[in-house]
Amino acid sequence: MILDATVAGREVHVEVHGKDGRYAVVLAGRALDVDLRESPDGFASLLIDGRSYETAIERRGAGYAVGLPGGTLVVEWTEPSRPGAGGPAPHGGETAARVTAPMPGKMVRILVESGQAVQADQGLVVMEAMKMENELRSPRAGRVREVHVREGQAVETGALLVVVD
Amino acid sequence: MTARATETSKGGASFMTRRAFKKILIANRGEIAVRVIRACREMGIPSVAIYSEADRSALHVRMADEARFVGPAPSRDSYLRIDRVLDAAHASGAEAIHPGYGLLAENAAFARACEESGVTFIGPRSETIALMGEKTSARRVAAEAGVPVVPGTLEASVDAAALRREAERLGFPVMLKAAAGGGGKGLRLVASAADWGAATLAARGEAQGAFGDDRLYVEKALARPRHVEIQVLADSHGNAVHLFERECSIQRRHQKVVEESPSPFLTPELRGRMGALALALVRKTGYCNAGTLEFLVDAEGRPHFLEMNTRLQVEHPVTEMVTGEDLVKLQIQIAGGARLPFGQDDLEQRGHAIECRIYAEDPERGFLPSPGRIVALRLPEGPGVRNDSGIYPGYEVPVHYDPLLSKLVVHGRNREDALQRLRRAVAEYRVLGVATTLPFFARVLRDPAFLSGDYDTSFVEALSVTTPPPVDHVIEAAVAAAAIRALHDRAASRSTAEASAQAAPPWWRAGLGEAHGGRR
Repeated sequence: MILDATVAGREVHVEVHGKDGRYAVVLAGRALDVDLRESPDGFASLLIDGRSYETAIERRGAGYAVGLPGGTLVVEWTEPSRPGAGGPAPHGGETAARVTAPMPGKMVRILVESGQAVQADQGLVVMEAMKMENELRSPRAGRVREVHVREGQAVETGALLVVVD
Repeated sequence: MTARATETSKGGASFMTRRAFKKILIANRGEIAVRVIRACREMGIPSVAIYSEADRSALHVRMADEARFVGPAPSRDSYLRIDRVLDAAHASGAEAIHPGYGLLAENAAFARACEESGVTFIGPRSETIALMGEKTSARRVAAEAGVPVVPGTLEASVDAAALRREAERLGFPVMLKAAAGGGGKGLRLVASAADWGAATLAARGEAQGAFGDDRLYVEKALARPRHVEIQVLADSHGNAVHLFERECSIQRRHQKVVEESPSPFLTPELRGRMGALALALVRKTGYCNAGTLEFLVDAEGRPHFLEMNTRLQVEHPVTEMVTGEDLVKLQIQIAGGARLPFGQDDLEQRGHAIECRIYAEDPERGFLPSPGRIVALRLPEGPGVRNDSGIYPGYEVPVHYDPLLSKLVVHGRNREDALQRLRRAVAEYRVLGVATTLPFFARVLRDPAFLSGDYDTSFVEALSVTTPPPVDHVIEAAVAAAAIRALHDRAASRSTAEASAQAAPPWWRAGLGEAHGGRR
């Protein structure tokens, strides 16, 4: 199987063959001898040319999140060779950013109004959840198109709060 | 209680062998409920857990000897319902209640209700909780005991003009605080007179919402203070000791995330002086059971009393690791009327301990809570490592409560040794399914200011260390793992397709294949 992916801001081309734990992976023209054993506790042991890693692989968006001892790396498949399920990769670009509630909770303060210019990382609303007040910030610089909530309102996970153009 | 104590001394039973109570109810949840259950079990005392609708599958329910349902998921309908908690205690025959920390732990009305219904509250008397819970009355009694307090008002007020005059007398920046305060609620740093109006409004609103009391007071904001606290223990016979300090300057949103003991900042003289100040306040208030005095230590090394927590602290394991004492068992024995089994001279700090609080929060997104299912879990083990955890693989972290999952505590010969051990343990620690504060700790443990011990409460804001980019062989491993998983997933979806094709009636496949000339 041949795949193109982005990982840690890089584009990579990878070819993989094999089964039952033993695999040949060709990565950027380099052939790797890979031994991967999954275990029922959710982790997998990975041996690559003698180096040992304890990994955990989860589906994430259009690819996989691979947990490694130093942290988690997201490997996203790029068109056209993206395999299997998983929706299209979310695009940044020209579309509006929709800020949604990451968990159920209550809106404590609305910090912006529609039409207002905002910086990336600027606070949009303050939400109380899990006994704490959490500031939800703008994912990008732009202008607030719509504010969909008011102070005191209870919201469910995924509720649309603010749209930033 | 006095009767119990007399009985103990007559019987000559040793401190830890006599059963203080026949049964104990734990009015809490999560990791602290598990911690108290462990103490009960070591003492041979059956434990009763309480749980809400959201916590039926929680670890503390699984581990306790008995469990009682107390109501719907929101705390105010279950864990904070004094009547239901007491009903559970009576129905189960519990003789005492351990409140843990948070929830009802510093609720004087709850302690009083326990006293009145004949159940022992494992903590100080209700009057003491009320006295110290009101932050300005605590400041007044500290001042009377000769303990220096942070300069500011000693009376709480709703009079905005009076508060403003006091702020100007102290000089900006000042801290605006809720008289009923706690947990960073109703707390505002006011940098200048221009910010005053907005800050008072916000602090009042938060205080009213959190405590139903919008009275505020003003304190001088100290420049780059350290947050150092002293653990105390006192019995009902007038004996009191301190168990040294915990350094708690690593905070986010005015809540601690890393604590250690000894403080890398305290000299033996300052440690001794702060211990003596703490005991002066303990004697002045007739304090009984475990408690903690929080101090801010300014850049000149002067301690200023901040407040007293009349309960077990989240970070108590740090003290347990360096003193070798079990604070929860001691709390239970003291509540049962026993005398402290040691004096001040019997206590010493051995080695160094550091705690990291593992919260279900995403440090990459401003510590935003991250509830969800723990998909996989590996706790660090080995020499000098302690986990006080309330989770297990497959556990669903509820959205209704504090997102503290677990506490990782290490002990080493000295600070250097403890840091090495902690770095190893954090790397070994794996939680999948929810974001946690672990990556933040990995960064803290590389920060030069933290490593040198030269840090203060502004540390988290000032933390400049970023996660280094992954090295090539790690990227290689990630891509290889993902590619192999993709190969598996494709094979699995193919075999599912084939299986469903085979599950179709043979005549259908045969007929279709033949009729359409084997179009497949």
